[in-house]
Amino acid sequence: MNFDHIDIVQSLIDGVLFGSVYALVGLGFTLIFGAMHKLNLAYAASSIAGAYIGLASITIFAVPTVIAFLVGPLAAGLVGLLIYISCFQFMPRNNMLAPLMASIGALFFIDELIIDKTAGSPITFPVLLPDAYFPVGEFGFRGDLLFVTFASFVLMGVIVFMLYRTKMGLATRAASQQPVASLLCGIPTHRTNSTVFVLAGVLGGVAGCLAAAAVGVLSPLLTLPLTVKGLIVAVIGGLGSIRGAIAAGFMIGALENLFLLFRGVNERDIYVFLVLFLFLVVRPNGIFGTSIDRD
Amino acid sequence: MLKLTNLAKYFGGVRAVDGLDMQINKGEIFGLIGPNGSGKSTTVNLICGVFPQTAGTIELDNVDLGRLAPHQRIEFGVSRTFQNIRLFGDLTVWQNLWVAWRDAPGHETSWLVNWFGSPADRRHEIQKLLEFSGLGDRADRPASSLSFGEQRRLELARAMASKPKLILLDEPAAGMNSEEVADLRNRILTMKNLGMTVLLVEHVMDLVMSVTDRITVLNFGKPIAEGTPLEIQNNEMVQEAYFGSAKNVEAGN
Amino acid sequence: MEYYLGITQTIGVHTLLGLSAYVLLLTGQLSLAQVGFFAIGSYVSGILTVIFGWHILPALLVGALVAGFFAFLVGFPALRVKGLMLVVATIAFSEIVRLVFFNVNWRVEVNGLEVGPDSTQGFREIRYFAANGWEQAHVVLLIWLIVILVMVLLWWLDKVRAGAVLRAVGEDELAAQSSGVNLTMVKVAAMTGGGVIAGIAGGLFAHSTTYVDHHTFSILLATFAVSYPILGGLKNVLGTLMAVIFIQGFIIEGLRFMGDYRNILFGLLIIVAMNFRPQGLVDGNFTSDLRKLLRMNQKRGGIDA
Repeated sequence: MNFDHIDIVQSLIDGVLFGSVYALVGLGFTLIFGAMHKLNLAYAASSIAGAYIGLASITIFAVPTVIAFLVGPLAAGLVGLLIYISCFQFMPRNNMLAPLMASIGALFFIDELIIDKTAGSPITFPVLLPDAYFPVGEFGFRGDLLFVTFASFVLMGVIVFMLYRTKMGLATRAASQQPVASLLCGIPTHRTNSTVFVLAGVLGGVAGCLAAAAVGVLSPLLTLPLTVKGLIVAVIGGLGSIRGAIAAGFMIGALENLFLLFRGVNERDIYVFLVLFLFLVVRPNGIFGTSIDRD
Repeated sequence: MLKLTNLAKYFGGVRAVDGLDMQINKGEIFGLIGPNGSGKSTTVNLICGVFPQTAGTIELDNVDLGRLAPHQRIEFGVSRTFQNIRLFGDLTVWQNLWVAWRDAPGHETSWLVNWFGSPADRRHEIQKLLEFSGLGDRADRPASSLSFGEQRRLELARAMASKPKLILLDEPAAGMNSEEVADLRNRILTMKNLGMTVLLVEHVMDLVMSVTDRITVLNFGKPIAEGTPLEIQNNEMVQEAYFGSAKNVEAGN
Repeated sequence: MEYYLGITQTIGVHTLLGLSAYVLLLTGQLSLAQVGFFAIGSYVSGILTVIFGWHILPALLVGALVAGFFAFLVGFPALRVKGLMLVVATIAFSEIVRLVFFNVNWRVEVNGLEVGPDSTQGFREIRYFAANGWEQAHVVLLIWLIVILVMVLLWWLDKVRAGAVLRAVGEDELAAQSSGVNLTMVKVAAMTGGGVIAGIAGGLFAHSTTYVDHHTFSILLATFAVSYPILGGLKNVLGTLMAVIFIQGFIIEGLRFMGDYRNILFGLLIIVAMNFRPQGLVDGNFTSDLRKLLRMNQKRGGIDA
C-alpha cells in the first residue's frame, strides 16, 4: 500500500481537530480526579446522555438546533450532579473501590436506558456547518471540525480561568489537596465537589454534542469507546493534569487517524490502546508527569 | 553492624537527610533523636528501602543494602515498626505474625512448607512469640480488635517474627501512657539481653535516656552530636536545638 | 428441564469468572482484564477442539494456561501502576483482546465443512459436545466439577500461609513489604492464577454455548465478573457463589419478563449496594455488624424498659 504525504498530513489535520473532543472528555475525567482523587467511569455516558437529551429537544419539542446545543450540555451537567449524589457524595472518603464500582453501575444504567429508549439503533444528529470547507494549498480544513476545536479551546480557557482566577476555583484546589483541613477551614467540600461534577458534565455535554454533530449520528455504541478513549487521554496526560489531558487529547486524535489510514477501522483502536500500555511502561505519570517518590 | 556513610535524601529542594554518618554495633540499643522534621523517620525509611537514597551507602555486616528492594532487606536481617501502627487489621493476631514469619537461620524449611504448609506447623513457635509479647490469649482475635497498647506490642512482635539482626523502632512510645512506656522499656531491655540490636527513634526522652547505649542527634537532616545518653544530655548544641525539649531531658534525670 | 440446565451452566461459568476476580481482589487489585483472559481461554480451547480435533479436557487446560501466560505478561506492566490506573489499564487490555479476536480470521476445512473463527462474524460451530454425544447433563456435570475443584482450592489456599499473605498485601502494601513480602511476585502470581481460572471459564463457555463473538467479551461482562466478589464479599468463596446465583439466577433469569430493564436494574443494584454497603454485602464485618445491630436493639430495649 502506498500513501503519499498529502493523505498522511490531511488525516493528521482531521485527527488533531477531532482530537479536541477527546481532549474535552479527558479533561472532564481529569478534573473530577483532580478534585476528589476518584474516577467517575460514568462520565462519558453522561456526555452521551446530554447529547441525546439535546437531540430529544429537537425531535420532541422542535426547538432550533442552536438551542439543542445548549440544552444538551446543561442536561449533561445535571446528569453529572445526579452521578455525584448517587455514586460519590455518601461514600467513605478513603474507599476508592465503592464509588468506582457505583460509577460503573451508573455507566450501565445510563447506557442501557438509552438502548431501551432508542431500541439500540443510531439516530441522525444535525450536522454543524455542513458546507464549510477551507482549502489551504493541497490540504483542507473541515468547517465543523474547526468549530469543534475552537469551541473546545474556549471551554478549556473558561475552565482554567475558573480554577485559577476565582474563589470557587481556589476552594476546589484547596479541597483537592487537603480535604479534611479544607472542611475544617469552612470550605463546603460537598459543594465544591458537586460544582466540579456539574462543570465537567457540561464540558462533556458539549463534547458529546460536538462529537455527534461531527459524526452525524448518535448511537449508544459511542459510549464505551468514548469512555475508554477519555480515560486513556486522562491517564496519558497524567491524571489530574489539565494541560496533559489537552495535549494527550490532540495526540490521541492524530494517532487514531493515522492508525485508521494505515491499518483500517477494525484494527485502529488496538493500536490506540497499545499506546496507553507504552505510556504506562515508559511514563506512568503522564506526558508532563514527574516521578513522585514521597509517600 | 549497620553502617551509614554520607547518607542523603532530597525531596525536590528539601534536604530531609543531608550527609548522615552513623555506625551501630552488634548488641547495641542505639537512639536517634532530634526535633520534628529533622529527618529521623526518613532515615528509617531509607534503611528499609521505602524510597531510594539520593547519595551515600547503607551497609549491614558489610552487605550493601542500598539497591535492594524492601523485602530483600528483610532477608538480610532488617525489620521495622511504624510510627502510625500498620497492622493487617482483618487478619487474626497470629496470622499477622505468620505473614512475617521466617525460620531461624539453620532451621529453614522448604518454600513449599513455608507457603502451603498447614498452620499447625508454625502455630507452636508463633504462640511462644505471642506469649513473650503478652498476647498469648489474643491469638485468634482480629488484629483490629486489640487495644492501642496491644496493637503496639503486636507490631513489635511482627517485626521480631522475621528473626532480624537489627530492628528499627519508629517512635514506638507515641501515644502511650506512662505504664505502657514502662512496659516497652522492659521489652527493649529484654531484647538487648537476648542479644538483639535496636535502632530507637523516639521523642519520649525518659525512654531514650534509660535504655540506649549511644545516641545520635539529628537537626535539619545533619548529625549535630553523638555520644552516650549522659554526654548528649550535657551537650549545649543539643539543648539549643531542642529548646523546650531540653527541659524534658533534665526532667528525665 | 433443558432451561434449568442452561441456567445452571451459566451460573457455573459466571462463578468461575467471579472467582478469578476474587483472587485479585484479595490482593487489593480491581481488574477488568478478566474478560480478556476469558476471551483468550474460549478462542484457544475452541480452536483446539474445532480445528485440531483435540479432546475437550486438554483443550480446556491449554486454553487456561495460555490465558494464564498472558495474565502473567500483563501482570508486570500493569502492576507498575496502582489502584485507579490499574482499572484503566485492564479495561484497555480487555478491549485490545476483544478487538484482536474481532480481526482473527482462520477458516479451515474439516470433514468437508469450513470452520474456525470468522473475524467480525465471530467463532461459530464450536460443537465438540454435540459431535461427541455429550448430553447437556454431562456438560453441566463437567462445569460444576471444575467449579467445585476451584472453590475447594481457593478455600484451601485461605487456610495456608499463602492466603494470609494475599490478604496482607490487600490490606496494607507497605506493611506487607516491610514484613518481607515480595509484592511483585505475589501480585503477578494472583494475576496469573486469576487468568488461569478465567481461561477455564472461557473454554467452558465457548463449548457450552457453541459460539462466541466480540459482543460476548464486553466491558459489561468484566463488570459482572468483579461485581460478584464485591457484592458477595471477600470473606470466603461462598459469597461470590451466592452473588452469582442472586444476579444470574434471580435478576437476569428470574426477571426475564422485564427484558431490557434487567441490565438497567443491574446498574441500579450496584449503585444502591455500594452506597449502603461499600465494603460488600457479606464481608467480614457482616456478622459482627449484625451482632452490633442486635445488641443496639437490646440496649435500646433496656432503656425503654
